[in-house]
Amino acid sequence: MLTRFVFDYARYVLKGGTKFYAWMGTLALLIVGMFYVFYLQNTEGLIVTGMTSQIHDGLYLANLVFLVGVAAGAVTIVFPAYVYHHEGMHKVTVLGEMLAISAVIMVMVFVFAHMGRPDRLWHMVPPWGIYSFSSMLGWDVLVLNGYLILNFVVGFWYLYSKYTGKPVNPKIFMPLVYISIVWALSIHTVTAFLIAVNPARPMWFHSMMPIRFITTAFAAGPALIIIAFLIIRNNTKMWIEDSAIKLLTTIVIWCLGLAIFLTLSEIVIELYARTEHANSLYYLMFGLHGLTALVPWFWSSVVLMVGAFALFMTPKFRNDMKLLPIPCAMAFVGIWIEKGMGLIVPGFIPSPIGEVTEYYPTFVEWVMTLGIWAFGFFILTILLKGAIGILLGEVRFGGAAPAASAAAVH
Amino acid sequence: MSSLMGTAALMAQPGEAKAAVEWAEHFQKNYRLMTPEEKAEARTRLEKRYSGEYSKKVSVDITEAQPGVLMGYALNIRKCIGCRRCVKACVEENNQSRGARAGERIEWIQVLRMERGEFTADKMNQGYPEGLGIQVGGNAYSPAGQVLEGQYQYTPEAVPEKDATYMPIACMQCEKPPCVKVCPVRTTYREADGPVVIDYNWCIGCKMCMGACPYWARRFNLTTPVLPKEDMNPVTHYLGNRPRMRGVVEKCHWCLQRTRHGRYPACVEVCPVGARKFGNLLDPESEVSKILARKNVFRLKAELNTFPKFFYFYD
Amino acid sequence: MKRFAIPAAALALCGAAILSVLAQDKPAAGAAAAAAPAAAASAPAEVICFESRKGASEITKREIQPGLPNVKCSPTTGAALWYSDPYDGTVPMGKMPQMESIPEGLAVVKPRSEKLNLLAQCGTACHNGTYPVGFPKTNRPVPIPTMEALLPDAKNLQHGRGRVWCLDCHHTTKRNMLVDHYGDPISIDQSQLLCGKCHGDKLRDWRDGIHGKRIGDFTSTGKKRWFTCTECHNPHNVQDGARNKGFIQLQPETPPQLPRGFKDAAFEKTHAIPQH
Repeated sequence: MLTRFVFDYARYVLKGGTKFYAWMGTLALLIVGMFYVFYLQNTEGLIVTGMTSQIHDGLYLANLVFLVGVAAGAVTIVFPAYVYHHEGMHKVTVLGEMLAISAVIMVMVFVFAHMGRPDRLWHMVPPWGIYSFSSMLGWDVLVLNGYLILNFVVGFWYLYSKYTGKPVNPKIFMPLVYISIVWALSIHTVTAFLIAVNPARPMWFHSMMPIRFITTAFAAGPALIIIAFLIIRNNTKMWIEDSAIKLLTTIVIWCLGLAIFLTLSEIVIELYARTEHANSLYYLMFGLHGLTALVPWFWSSVVLMVGAFALFMTPKFRNDMKLLPIPCAMAFVGIWIEKGMGLIVPGFIPSPIGEVTEYYPTFVEWVMTLGIWAFGFFILTILLKGAIGILLGEVRFGGAAPAASAAAVH
Repeated sequence: MSSLMGTAALMAQPGEAKAAVEWAEHFQKNYRLMTPEEKAEARTRLEKRYSGEYSKKVSVDITEAQPGVLMGYALNIRKCIGCRRCVKACVEENNQSRGARAGERIEWIQVLRMERGEFTADKMNQGYPEGLGIQVGGNAYSPAGQVLEGQYQYTPEAVPEKDATYMPIACMQCEKPPCVKVCPVRTTYREADGPVVIDYNWCIGCKMCMGACPYWARRFNLTTPVLPKEDMNPVTHYLGNRPRMRGVVEKCHWCLQRTRHGRYPACVEVCPVGARKFGNLLDPESEVSKILARKNVFRLKAELNTFPKFFYFYD
Repeated sequence: MKRFAIPAAALALCGAAILSVLAQDKPAAGAAAAAAPAAAASAPAEVICFESRKGASEITKREIQPGLPNVKCSPTTGAALWYSDPYDGTVPMGKMPQMESIPEGLAVVKPRSEKLNLLAQCGTACHNGTYPVGFPKTNRPVPIPTMEALLPDAKNLQHGRGRVWCLDCHHTTKRNMLVDHYGDPISIDQSQLLCGKCHGDKLRDWRDGIHGKRIGDFTSTGKKRWFTCTECHNPHNVQDGARNKGFIQLQPETPPQLPRGFKDAAFEKTHAIPQH
């Protein structure tokens, strides 16, 4: 039965028109770039990137941190659906879980890209390796893998039950769902702890980091989901209720507002007394020692985030499904900058002993980043497509449901 | 598994032995968990590999910590003239990478040049805001004296300069090291006689330790280290100065290959003004204990509760 | 065709992952090539480096074992950077007051008498069968160097700002020895006995290893080579190193490598916060 499920799923995914294959083809090209760069990094070393001993976490960690947030953002679908029994959300919960799966896979590939010796990752896995309970990275690996497994089990069990027509066993299913809700918060909190527990890095060493991470995650994640839902609406036969999209919009607005508020308070507090601890923020906002590479990035992220917030507040943009993607994309990109390049890289400038340097990502690094994003979207498309097919009833054990047509989707 | 491979490697033909040695090395355990036999095997494997690579007889020592020794270090910042010989001596002793591409030259010690501080009358009127009571004086913002802000790339004709003081910084070998706490695979740890060491074959290169160190003591091998054969120091220690590989972290370890046999580290021996002092903190007759007893001693960033065993003093 | 797309992609994925994990590290490029020209360029010239200050003591580089030299010298400044054998060329320190607890032979120094550049005097050459450094090797007349020519710094002797003169430290008749307040000679290899007369706090710290330099074993019962006073300080020219308490300025070694993307270190010279 299970093999038939996989087979039918795969067969449905492979059925597609030019638009689908053009999309997957471009992604595949980028993925090839990713593999080439991975090969370079494992032969020449990380010297092909812009990382130095001073700034040893660059684009890869930045994207990694951001994507953990996106993965955690899937909880904004699961929570209303199962805890508040929101009808519109309930129908599409599994799509959020698919996004979580692809985001976590992206995170893991970024970890591989970031490490100096990915061939030694088994050193972390007992009994052959050692697991250190005092290390936040150890906890991060644990919770991320757990989240991946949870979402995989919950999502595919649900899909499988729809495929076979046999309902899930709520005595096991519901506790798993509730656990995954709490777990989603924990993955992003642990990721925040990863960098925030270092007194060596004053830009991150404050208790506001975890809440900042959660609010930006719950703004960026649902923003991406809204865009994905609107794409699904326009390109497949799946209709996602307005109520679901509106609820997600409300979540984005609240969390974006909180995130902006937190950023504002950080700026005020750091720059009021302007101690040496504020040097990293000063570098980000105005440059330090004449080095200003990140200044345009910061201010554009401010414009994007505040602009998105303003647009979200206007009913015209909030209620019109054709205009809604604009503030969503703005919020997504703004948060990507602010949480990625704008948080990880300045944390290393200046170094703990006062050396001010700058980070210049190389072309190779960008190729890898794009490639991993492409890889994630590749997997996301496959998962979403199959899931939609099952939800629509077109993929069913024993042939498609009578109501659904067998016509190819775009 | 690695011991089987190791034995097989030692018995096999040179060509296949190299491949077998590499596989055995890849699968070896964390050094601390090895039995003495496994350690001896790892040592033999490494000696064979290094001797082949560098065309000279290389020894890899595995001497354990001596009982009754807690290594300590004291640096007289009044004496340091910023000549950087300690930096270069360390490089000569410890087989760091020394290539020309950016990121290929690693130096474990950084010498900070700080300005003595300049207070001038013509800056007096540059305070602000004017007229409402000056909140920021004109002579603000210029660093004076001991600060963690200055230049590392200074190149004067002669040192010491009249308007500068110098402070070298390397691993502080903390008693409560933040780097050890964050390592996910426990590859970096505090040895029984004090120094914080790294098992280079176990390091996964996640760089968490580099982020956690408040003294920027750790360096990353961005590429395969560039180490010419004739410059290679053949007297090595497993946890010390043996040649590293791409993708692992390295740092000062107080020259274990020397100190485990009772000799001074290379930086101490080369300092031309005798600013660097090293010894056994548990021995009241050692110069470091006497410095702690007699001189005014401080630690960098003591508020972070890292409890370094590297002390700075002045007399 | 389409049904093979996913399995093919999966296979490619696995293959690429395995390939990249198994890929061999690129060997250190140009290691041998860089070394060859330097060594083969000319006939191997003698490499001599100085220890603490120029003119105090020098070491000539030689190989103790294949691949292990006795010293490594700095190519930029000519300073000694690394010692493999710290006791090379040393002699026992001899008896020192308050240092009797150190067993015989565990305290060694480099003899300063080899740096003496005096012509023969009755008691120090010929009649004891040795020829000092500077003794004429041919029968041609050579100018006898005067005190000034031997020691240009002597005219600037500001040691004590004009309250100390040559014979306060040097023995009047035994010119290769130093003298104490009783008029008894002090060996020039034990200059610390003389200097410590006035610089007692430094002598105390030197005896404990806090001032000055010792190399060798760090254990308190180990063998150490002690650096005597004149190996680092020039007593004839103290004001030149005035800001540094009698230690002359040196040329520093090269700075660290600039991080990627930087052509020069100008960024370090500007202040963190712009000065008004």
